[in-house]
Amino acid sequence: MRPLTFSRMLLRCGVLLLVLFVVVVIALKLGAVQVSLYGLGRDLIRVLLGQTRAISTDYGMIVVDIRLPRILLGIVVGASLSVAGASFQALLRNPLADPYVLGVSSGAAVGAILALIVESHLALSPDLAGLITPLGAFIGAAATIAAVYFLGRRDGQIDSGTLLLGGIITASFLSAVIMFLMSTLAGGNLRGASYWLMGDLSTPQPKSLLYLLGIGFVIAAGAIYTTASDLNLLLAGEKEAMHLGVDVPRVRIVVYLAASVLTGLAVSVSGAIGYVGLLVPHVMRLIFGSDHRMLIPASALGGAIALVIADTLARTVVAPSELPVGAMTAMAGAPLFIYLLRRRLA
Amino acid sequence: MLRSFRKSLPTALTIAFAYVAFSVTALRARAQTSVPGVPPAVETREIVDETGRTLRVPVSIERIVSLAPSLTETIYALGLQDRLVGDTDYCDYPPDALKKAKVGGAVNPNFEKIAALHPDIVLVTKSINRLDTVRALDTLGIPSYATDPHNVDEIISSTEKLATVLGAPDTGKSLGEDMVRRLAVLQTKLKDVQPSRVLFIVWMEPLISIGKDTFIADALHKAGAISIVDSAKDWPQTNLEEVVRLQPEYLVFAASHSESAARDFDVLASRPGWRILEAVHNRRFAVISEAVNRPAPRIVSAIEELARQLHPEAFSDAPPAPARDTAPSSAPTSPPQKPSVAKNVALTFSADEEYACAR
Repeated sequence: MRPLTFSRMLLRCGVLLLVLFVVVVIALKLGAVQVSLYGLGRDLIRVLLGQTRAISTDYGMIVVDIRLPRILLGIVVGASLSVAGASFQALLRNPLADPYVLGVSSGAAVGAILALIVESHLALSPDLAGLITPLGAFIGAAATIAAVYFLGRRDGQIDSGTLLLGGIITASFLSAVIMFLMSTLAGGNLRGASYWLMGDLSTPQPKSLLYLLGIGFVIAAGAIYTTASDLNLLLAGEKEAMHLGVDVPRVRIVVYLAASVLTGLAVSVSGAIGYVGLLVPHVMRLIFGSDHRMLIPASALGGAIALVIADTLARTVVAPSELPVGAMTAMAGAPLFIYLLRRRLA
Repeated sequence: MLRSFRKSLPTALTIAFAYVAFSVTALRARAQTSVPGVPPAVETREIVDETGRTLRVPVSIERIVSLAPSLTETIYALGLQDRLVGDTDYCDYPPDALKKAKVGGAVNPNFEKIAALHPDIVLVTKSINRLDTVRALDTLGIPSYATDPHNVDEIISSTEKLATVLGAPDTGKSLGEDMVRRLAVLQTKLKDVQPSRVLFIVWMEPLISIGKDTFIADALHKAGAISIVDSAKDWPQTNLEEVVRLQPEYLVFAASHSESAARDFDVLASRPGWRILEAVHNRRFAVISEAVNRPAPRIVSAIEELARQLHPEAFSDAPPAPARDTAPSSAPTSPPQKPSVAKNVALTFSADEEYACAR
């Protein structure tokens, strides 16, 4: 493979950005309610120019208030999950690792379900009530991250093997807690919880959450990117990396914490959407090679593209009903992955 | 220098992208404040729903979207079907409700579809719809009214309240009074009978019944029956051992067709162990219309129907004693039944002519 040069990286990111843009425009056009491409373009230009008064109320409501936020959410969640997946695969040196392998999603689910239970006993103002599930989910995720961090330490340092085992055990323990909590729920809460577990982008989220998510993504993904060269060396093995001058314990902590925070943020707003974080990094590795300086931005963009496509399919295939987006990511992702894998082996 | 620039470029790209995303969101925020969704000409009023939320709706509600089958039924019962502009995929009663614009499922409705219908009000019910749905509608500025009945009396009062909100208080009042009267008539008939101890089967595998705080338990009570499962949970899972200990007199199935209930009964009866049950051994089971699962006016017919099956002796003086050896005249003819079965099994099915009298 030719060496990664700056211009080649720019070109590749540019192509991915272009694909993402096209996907977003298509996603904006498709949906349960028909929107013409012309009207869409006109309105988008008006939104960008700030002339929102000229937008007809139908478009204003459906495209700007429902579809666009959902697509933006899909972009950030997809990017977060893919970057987290790529990071965990490198950190644990395990191709099966995904953002949920260390139990973050299970912890978030426990937090979210507890929040659902507690909320019905509290009289909260509607603004606050809208935030309590994501908040509970994030607290659950953070608690799990901390617990797994302490489980994964050996002689004061994170040990990949111990971390993986500790994370998997925590995840299965928390799954049991989820089962128990689910059996105590009733009616609307039960449905809410099961949708949450399947992963769901359909509920419009408060704007403040979108901001928080965007900022969190930039910080955490940036932190991971600073370790990209070190992650490349880690591929050769931890001892080898250490001999080459990599501060392995620091890299482990930075990557573990940043990737877990990315996962926690994504899971808090969208539930546990599967497969994106596992498949996209592999697909990107098959296309662009395993240099993390390229792989991390490519995973971010690829994850965004994949999740927006999957979510668009999820909300259009059986419109006006919806399919769980996690099912769509697997259905669309697995065949593509197999194709790329076989082609490379051929 | 070039290397560090190379290194930082993707980060810069990410930041640039995030910035664009943010500015679009910010513009959207401005769009929301500058363009009100509803023209200010419409006069509004404030109402409080059954979960205590205050909402603002137009004085005259012309466009209703229902997100639960029970609410759709209630709207038809109130004769307001012309104002119902959208309902869910599961709204199948009365059959005309199937022709309304569909907005998806009750649990995962499509907000684009709802917004495009420009409803004055969206009706939800706490036991079915998700809180997330209500919040999402709030975010979009669409008022949603939630009902939350927990027993049969509350179904009646909830119906009357809803009628008032929708601008048909008189119809609501007469519908409510009719329901109260029919239940009172039933109670006088049943005042001397011993309540039957029943197992209400929601789901067979695993065996799920109803808890004491559900409106279904209350409906059973009003039909002269007591659920043997005494749980504070709404949908408790139970098991054969517990059922054998409690020995119900009847198994009660909610079904859309009496034949399907008979099939369900046969499935249970063929399972090892179930024959220990007196009720299974003697083929004592009752079928209640699926209307019992919906907190809507039709539940009164379901209650009457179950009472007739469990306590035929209380209805012996009633002129058209529903023939239990033959299929009822109003229902589609069911296949011939084994006489030995028919002796113990009541098969009446009449809840479907309900809405003619409701208007």
